[in-house]
Amino acid sequence: MKRAKLERRLKKNLRTRFGPVVNASVEGRIIRVFGRLSNWEDIVEACSMCVMRIPGFHVVNDIELEGTDLPPMRKPEFTDDALEGRKPDVLVIGGGISGCSIARELTRWKLDVLLVEKESDLALQASGRNDGEVHPGVDLNKGTLKQKYVVKGNRMFDRVCRELDVPFRRCGQYVGFTEKSALPVVRLYVWHRRHICKISDTRILSGRELKKREPGLNPRFRFAIYNPSAGCVCPYGLTIAYGENAAANGAQISLDTAVLGMEVQDGGIRAVKTNRGTVRPKLVINAAGVFAEEVAAMAGDRFYSIHPRRGTNSILDKKAGSLVKSIASIRTLTKNTAHTKGGGILHTVHHNLLVGPDAVETFEKENFATEQISVDRVFEKQVKTAGGLSKQDIITYFTGVRAAAFEEDFIIEKGRKTRNLIHCAGIQSPGLTTAPAVAVDVAKMAVQMLGASGKIEKNERFSPVRKGIPRVKDLPTDERDRLIRKNPDYGRIVCRCEEISKGEIIEALKSPIAIPTVDGVKKRVRPGMGRCQGGFCMPLVAQIISEYTGIPVEDVCKSGPDSKISFGKTKEVLL
Amino acid sequence: MTDYDVLVIGGGPGGLAAAVSAKKEGAGVLLIEREARLGGILKQCIHDGFGLLRFGEKLTGPEYVERFEEEFHKLSISYEVQTFVTSVRKTEKGFYVYAVNAKGVREYRTKAMVLATGCRERTAKQVFIHGTRPAGVFTAGTAQHFVNLMGQMPARRCVILGSGDIGLIMARRLTLEGAKVLGVYEVKPVPSGLTRNLVQCLEDYDIPLFLSHTVTRVFGTGRLTGVEIAGVDERMRPIPGTERYVECDTLILSVGLIPENEMAESLGVPLDIRTKGPICDNRFMTEADGVFTCGNATHVNDLVDYVSESGEIAGRAAASYKKRTGQESEKGRVMMDADASLQYLVPQKLNLGSDLGKVILYFRSSRVLTEGTLTVAVDGQKIFARKYQNLKPPEMERLEIDFTGQCLTKESRVLVSIAEGGGI
Repeated sequence: MKRAKLERRLKKNLRTRFGPVVNASVEGRIIRVFGRLSNWEDIVEACSMCVMRIPGFHVVNDIELEGTDLPPMRKPEFTDDALEGRKPDVLVIGGGISGCSIARELTRWKLDVLLVEKESDLALQASGRNDGEVHPGVDLNKGTLKQKYVVKGNRMFDRVCRELDVPFRRCGQYVGFTEKSALPVVRLYVWHRRHICKISDTRILSGRELKKREPGLNPRFRFAIYNPSAGCVCPYGLTIAYGENAAANGAQISLDTAVLGMEVQDGGIRAVKTNRGTVRPKLVINAAGVFAEEVAAMAGDRFYSIHPRRGTNSILDKKAGSLVKSIASIRTLTKNTAHTKGGGILHTVHHNLLVGPDAVETFEKENFATEQISVDRVFEKQVKTAGGLSKQDIITYFTGVRAAAFEEDFIIEKGRKTRNLIHCAGIQSPGLTTAPAVAVDVAKMAVQMLGASGKIEKNERFSPVRKGIPRVKDLPTDERDRLIRKNPDYGRIVCRCEEISKGEIIEALKSPIAIPTVDGVKKRVRPGMGRCQGGFCMPLVAQIISEYTGIPVEDVCKSGPDSKISFGKTKEVLL
Repeated sequence: MTDYDVLVIGGGPGGLAAAVSAKKEGAGVLLIEREARLGGILKQCIHDGFGLLRFGEKLTGPEYVERFEEEFHKLSISYEVQTFVTSVRKTEKGFYVYAVNAKGVREYRTKAMVLATGCRERTAKQVFIHGTRPAGVFTAGTAQHFVNLMGQMPARRCVILGSGDIGLIMARRLTLEGAKVLGVYEVKPVPSGLTRNLVQCLEDYDIPLFLSHTVTRVFGTGRLTGVEIAGVDERMRPIPGTERYVECDTLILSVGLIPENEMAESLGVPLDIRTKGPICDNRFMTEADGVFTCGNATHVNDLVDYVSESGEIAGRAAASYKKRTGQESEKGRVMMDADASLQYLVPQKLNLGSDLGKVILYFRSSRVLTEGTLTVAVDGQKIFARKYQNLKPPEMERLEIDFTGQCLTKESRVLVSIAEGGGI
């Protein structure tokens, strides 16, 4: 289609729907949508309307949201010069699953890798706020980057998780149907996925077989699609493991480091300004999640937009864990409205159930507040997957924000206008599954780009193996006994719900990327993740952090620097 | 591996009483405590009011438990602290209990077990408080741990949700330490705590109590900056339009206690949905032979005196369990049905082989009644009635009944109910 013709068509569609307040232009492969609207959902709709299914074409959203100031990016309040003058070969922006896995793959070469993350730990945003499903990729169409990488990524999980010592369970996924009449259509669909999309193990199970495997599911399921390659992993556990392995192989991980601006000259990034000094990297990798668009703009290479989409998951007590032992959801043939999906039920590697997520468009990239309506909506749908599901079993819930591009596909490519830049953007679900494969490709791309000015050698000392902290309660009795005799702290149970010992907590404080906060420890070894939600162990964990690090108890934080748990000693604190 | 007659799990007031009474019966006893010291939650309950019934004096929590500890040590009862039971297996030869402590993995065998595992607090998420996840949201017990055991001040300006006893105690405690308690909010139309605590902890310190109100949301990214309060309707759902923001740095929750029975469940012990504790008989034996329950693991008590009492009964029964004759089990047990007028009744069963001369019942009324009459009927025949004044759900009642001469059998129908008014 000719540019002018395309532009005319888009303008007309927008005018019909929204009147003269929204307009579009096509410049190169960028479809720019601009104007003013007072409602965020309308903006998302306008931009989504303009999506062209032509490879390389992207929608950029320049519609102003009337009457609302978009919240600025949360960033650390301090500045220092810890990174001043650093000239790394590669600067990775973002400490989520993408950034960490890319950094790790880059350390296979003799490269100076610096990863910056604005939060005070890794995986604090989307990578730590999802259900950890390792997708089979059955719901994706051939031709998308998502589909290409999900197939590759899924196959890599056994090896990657073994190398990084991260628990992974290939538990399989069931999509149940209550209408027998859907069978012919689903048969066709499954045939297509097997033979065209190469998800070669997906198949149909009878209702009887399903009941035998998962007796807790809706007894009215007549048949199900079964995907044996689906699995689950702890998403922040994997991200941290990738980060630790990258660090062990020489990458520098700089937390509390926000990118504030860039100096771009002659189509190249010359300098990257952070709150911890100015860095002059040879190559920048943009893995900034919901802020990838802002980073692209700083680099003078904004050719896509991110529309954040919130999702909330509930975590259920392990006691409910036997209800569903794999991943399950219900599907009806009535078409789902846009993205109002209700997720599914997932049995985690730690044997809780996760129920969700839903999907709600939002302009707030960092609003992780939960809402009761999200929990209610998801449950309303998921009790149809498993009738025994009960809100009584909820121990907590959390919200994450997906970094979706309007094309609903990944953007993994070299900068278009900016030479020394790689985008790894629009990484939403199944971004956790795809990460191992994407990281390999992005690293390859980076090495090739850097190789233009001199050969990049392999890092002979690279070790793909990372040793995690022993999960003492899962050890065989004699091994556990031996470990305790070597270090009695492994026999001192601090978290009663999750059976976590003092020894494990101290190991977390000794780990390569140690975060001496209650949440930092919780993310690494799980005290406080159980049914009492830290009611019993939180004071003890704070005390252990204090003892080990020398930080006074009153200065121990829950997570970030402004999250102190105590105001000081009684009788001393000024109120 | 060491063999015992009775293994008590939990070294709080229930477990200590159970161990002492079992030992006095001549049993070989071991007590296992998961924390570093004996005493359970009483270690941090430095306020007074404990022991009025048992000792006729007002003791602090540590003082109360010390009396039991002294006796416990005098009897040279074996115990392990900071020892965590990881699993229990039932076999023909008794229970195999696996635990870990700083010395390694331990294995014990016992004929009977007393589960004195206490209870835990409901959390903010379990009462569906939404919003962000800042520091400064504590259950009352956690806040109490900080103040009383660690000497740390977790609050400056604080809102308390729930008028349970620990919430009320903490309102006073934090006020005494210099914090400003802005108010106690209770979702129910009536307070949850004991009247004496309402008077001594709130009224005496001018702390306002807001009934039929709840916290719906918390704000703040680092530390808590405020909470949203809303009025609730008669079904305890927030009423839209009544929300208001209260600036504070701490939210303390006293929204109920849940008996901890994960170990009981792992042994297949059925629980009562009303008490959330094991179904048990008048000797506090659960539906699993040889497994006894007591204290707050059985049901949440308002007075520790009752916790000790149940521990003593359970301990004694556990000690005699080994001597149990076949006859006793053949006689079986009879169910006591409590109708909807009771929030719950403990025990739920009567052991027909036991001495039924002095059966102790604990119950709570479902409703607030200025005058009420509790009756016990066997096969439709009223055998017992007692008048009560001021029955209310937060206050547990204790009662002794003589069932001898009732010729109870497994087929008898025992019904316990409360009628409004004083007429018998």
